[in-house]
Amino acid sequence: MGGGMSGPSFNIDNGYLEGLIRGFKNGILTRNDYLNLVQCETLEDLKVHLQSTDYGSFLANEPGPLSVSVIDDKLRNKLVLEFQHIRNQSVEPLSTFLDYITYSYMIDNIVLLITGTLHQRSISELAAKCHPLGIFEQMEAIGAVSTPAELYNTIIVDTPLAPFFLDCIFVQDLDEMNIEIIRNTLYKNYLEEFHNFCQQIGGITADVMCEILAFEADRRAIIITINSFGTELTKDDRSKLYPCCGKLHPEGLSALARSDDYDQVRAVADYYAEYKVLFEGAGNNPGDKTLEDKLFEHEVKLNVFSFLQQFHFGVFYSFIKLKEQEIRNIIWISECVAQRHRTKIDNYIPIF
Amino acid sequence: SEEMSRIQMFLQHDSAYACVAEFGELGLVEFSDLNENVNEFQRKYINEVRRCDEMERKLRYIEKECRKALNAVPPDNGENPDTPMPSEMFNLELTFEKLENELKEVNSNKETLMKNKLELTELKHILRKTQTFFDEAHLTLGSTTGSESSSTSLLSAEAPVGDQHAPKFGFIAGVIVRERVPSFERMLWRACRGNVFLRQTEIETPLEDPVTGDEVNKCVFIIFFQGEQLKTKVRKICEGYKATMYPCPDTQAERREMSMGVMTRIEDIQTVLSQTEEHQTRILSNSARNIRLWFRKVKKIKAVYHTLNLCNIQKAIIAEGWCPSADIDRVHLAARRGTERSGTDIPAIINKMDTRKIPPTYHKTNKFTHGYQAIVDAYGIADYLEINPAPFTLITFPFLFAVMFGDCGHGTIMFLFALWMVWNEKKIAAEKSTNEIWMILFNGRYIILLMGLFSIYTGLLYNDCFSKSLNIFGSSWSLADTYTTMDITNNTLATTATIQLNPKYTFDTGSPYPLGIDPIWNIAQNQIVFLNSYKMKLSVILGVTQMIFGVLLSFSNHTYFKRPLNVISEFVPQLLFLCAIMGYLVVMIFTKWLIFDSEDSAIAPSLLITLIDMFLFKTHILPLFSGQQVVETLLLIVAVVCVPWMLLMKPLTLWMRNKNLLKTNQGLTVRNVRTVIHSREERVNIVDEDELGVGTSDDVDGDIKGDLDEEVEDAPFEMSEVMILSSIHTIEYCLSCISHTASYLRLWALSLAHAELSEVLWNMVLRIGLVSSTYAGSVITFMVFVGWAGATIIILLIMEGLSAFLHTLRLHWVEFQSKFYHGDGRAFTPFSFSVILDSSDD
Repeated sequence: MGGGMSGPSFNIDNGYLEGLIRGFKNGILTRNDYLNLVQCETLEDLKVHLQSTDYGSFLANEPGPLSVSVIDDKLRNKLVLEFQHIRNQSVEPLSTFLDYITYSYMIDNIVLLITGTLHQRSISELAAKCHPLGIFEQMEAIGAVSTPAELYNTIIVDTPLAPFFLDCIFVQDLDEMNIEIIRNTLYKNYLEEFHNFCQQIGGITADVMCEILAFEADRRAIIITINSFGTELTKDDRSKLYPCCGKLHPEGLSALARSDDYDQVRAVADYYAEYKVLFEGAGNNPGDKTLEDKLFEHEVKLNVFSFLQQFHFGVFYSFIKLKEQEIRNIIWISECVAQRHRTKIDNYIPIF
Repeated sequence: SEEMSRIQMFLQHDSAYACVAEFGELGLVEFSDLNENVNEFQRKYINEVRRCDEMERKLRYIEKECRKALNAVPPDNGENPDTPMPSEMFNLELTFEKLENELKEVNSNKETLMKNKLELTELKHILRKTQTFFDEAHLTLGSTTGSESSSTSLLSAEAPVGDQHAPKFGFIAGVIVRERVPSFERMLWRACRGNVFLRQTEIETPLEDPVTGDEVNKCVFIIFFQGEQLKTKVRKICEGYKATMYPCPDTQAERREMSMGVMTRIEDIQTVLSQTEEHQTRILSNSARNIRLWFRKVKKIKAVYHTLNLCNIQKAIIAEGWCPSADIDRVHLAARRGTERSGTDIPAIINKMDTRKIPPTYHKTNKFTHGYQAIVDAYGIADYLEINPAPFTLITFPFLFAVMFGDCGHGTIMFLFALWMVWNEKKIAAEKSTNEIWMILFNGRYIILLMGLFSIYTGLLYNDCFSKSLNIFGSSWSLADTYTTMDITNNTLATTATIQLNPKYTFDTGSPYPLGIDPIWNIAQNQIVFLNSYKMKLSVILGVTQMIFGVLLSFSNHTYFKRPLNVISEFVPQLLFLCAIMGYLVVMIFTKWLIFDSEDSAIAPSLLITLIDMFLFKTHILPLFSGQQVVETLLLIVAVVCVPWMLLMKPLTLWMRNKNLLKTNQGLTVRNVRTVIHSREERVNIVDEDELGVGTSDDVDGDIKGDLDEEVEDAPFEMSEVMILSSIHTIEYCLSCISHTASYLRLWALSLAHAELSEVLWNMVLRIGLVSSTYAGSVITFMVFVGWAGATIIILLIMEGLSAFLHTLRLHWVEFQSKFYHGDGRAFTPFSFSVILDSSDD
């Protein structure tokens, strides 16, 4: 698989799709677009400006008045349409690669449904909130299960997530804490598996994707650690949730497992040049960027870099991630516009 | 191109809308954006644009409903409505609003009815299907009574008459989409650990989805289970799989009764539904008639407001733009009409402005010249007022094409095809085909027409018709009176395959064949050798003529733009260089044709060698004319002198001028001059705006124009830049004189290829039938003809035609236009409703 993947032979199967994705990428909003969007007074203004971008008439058939949720839906629909078009045109191994991208949405959907049912919400209401990329057939029957083992045996076993779930079967019952553990375990296994898969593909895909996935793994490890302070999660359990395909593995992860507060996490990150910078700029004071935003920014940077190389699958992953970020940005701006809360409107993360 | 004027329009708020609408109908004014740094959504008339968007949305909704309900595209009667006035816009909005609401109401009613109907139909099917399940259960029970095997215990248990000690079994019946059945079944099995029993069967007739109207295939299922816990689980799974569950009575009698009730209710709903549908059809068929008209009206309103958004809005609405100077009266007239329409008495004021901005290029075309202009524009839009190559292309393009495509048979087919398109052009244009390739052909119909016509002409000259010659006037070669001299008898003709004819004896010098090539060459063995020499020379003559013509055109460009320096430093040396080398070659070709006849053709010198010898200063063994050596030396010296002339004269003159300018201005740089001019013009504008354009600025602009010479535009002067530019041009021109002449040889090459291909096709395909001497030959010819005709059309007409077209295109773009055409302009895009409506109709 590795040898034939580079150069012109890449184009035999994937050239068209790569071209397509690069075309889509050119439609991503630029800094200038954001500057214009920020000036909008109403959501209608926002619609007018988005009409002059690649989004075109995606809101043209919506009866007014606009709401943020409608914009969100339409933005997401557009992304999903583009993704599905590409998925339908793709052949192995790209199709598997694209499937891997959808798995993370499936994990999110499962967790969303379980938490929802725990809080006695109806399945149909929850299903509407699920990300369309992560929808699978058995999903809505989740209301019928009550333990992780049952969850595995009835639902997960038929989905591609099955191998990721094996570690969670021993969790006792479904409560808030355990759902988080399930989510993170699933995610850890998923990331490691995806990382593995990319390495199997080899070539430039491996170079680009492993970099991005390693960052994703490290980000999760850091966030898990920070969020676990003050909860009843033991250090031992916590360390089991760290994905092991990042740059923090193994020394950094074991140091993270030992840490007790934010400053210790920071001390761990100080050993790694790229993460040190992120922690330095972050703070909770007004005017500072949060650590989360800093991490997002770094992710955007990595994803933009992946377009600098040709003949690899990373562009597909990066496009989806950048588009996600763009949707988050537009929604953030529309929320600020809709609620007339302009002080924080500049907290979006520009891509180009 | 047309001379353009920059116009400034002062429109009153009341009448601006009507005036702009009139300009839109006129389609002769291009509006410039005066608010370039204002965001789209901060412009004055954005609210109106938004209202139009909203109206369009409603119209799209209505149109969609029309398509869905009436199953037909709303008719388009091509009506062109007047632009509605703003007051009318409210009415339109109201109409659409009412229609939309009405439609929405009808639709929601219909949807509820459909939903009810769907539910009832599903229930009907459930009752019918479950009946068979229960019946089967009875049968199985009957056959297995007494058997205590565990495999049948479940079956027997579900029967209502089952064992007394068995716990009560419950069941759920419902309907599910067919695609989900397998996974549904598997999920039930997994979740309930095999403790439920599922029967399912397909509903034969597909049901209609009430929302989308699509057909869906569904299955009826019934699940038996034991105990409450399983019941909730099964219910949840059913919900998860979006299966609809229906109550189903336990006993057969109840089921029958229910089924009767359901049937009557379905019938009731059906009547109501058909009434609703009728109502819907009535509303829709009314609006379907008008929908295109409405669309056009809204498009026009929107276009007008978009244009108004480009204007500068103060006390009055100030618009700026371009229009052809010749049509300025019509613009005035349109503005007056607009003012009248809006009913105000303050007229709109339109002033010509003087500006430094470069006007757009506008060529008036008709349907005949349009295609040729498009060929030129595809290379680059002409600079403003630059010479437009399109009128020359009109003739040279089909001619050069025909030189490569010379066959009067193929030409006739092409001509007839184009004639058919021209004949039916109104009908074809009205069809508005979306087939891109067909539309390209159709838009080029007049080009194809002339190409066909010229091909017939060159075909006659080459004497080529489907690779055969037409012997119309009788060949001028004859053996009749040479029997004696050449020792030929009738016997020789029968025994020898080829005979060499000596023109000295066999050619009738008194009357050469009157039109084109003598048909005897068609059967000559040295046909290709003969034609090659002829076509090669022809290509060079045509090519050099066209290039010299191109250089001459550059002269008229230079004189029009008043650039005497360019005439002396570019045009003259270029022309001399071209004529001295290539022009001389053409002269030699003609001389050679004229002075050698059949007597002494054997000793005629090779032109190629002669030309090479000219560069090497060698003496010719046989001069073409006396004094050839001296003439050649002179020409060569002229050509060599031209090179430094082209290279150095312009940069040096500019350098000298710049030095003098600096001296006289006493350090006042050119840049300062320009800023002075700039501020002066701004002042003029301010005056204009204050007095609503009453004051004229004629006195001021005279001297502004005088200062704005071409040389001033070059400032600040950079010697190295000019030098580099000049050397590039010189090298390019000198090399291109040789390479472009060689490039014209493609005329010969393609012509040869075309002739050979069609001959091969004749000999390899059609001849199979013709050589046979029996009656079977006619049958074979009949069958072979299809292949020959098909190959003629596909290979010779379409493929060869395309290739010849492409080469002609190249000869025009590269070899011809590079001699004079700048092609760096901007096309005139007037604000025109017809363009806007046409583009949005697709």
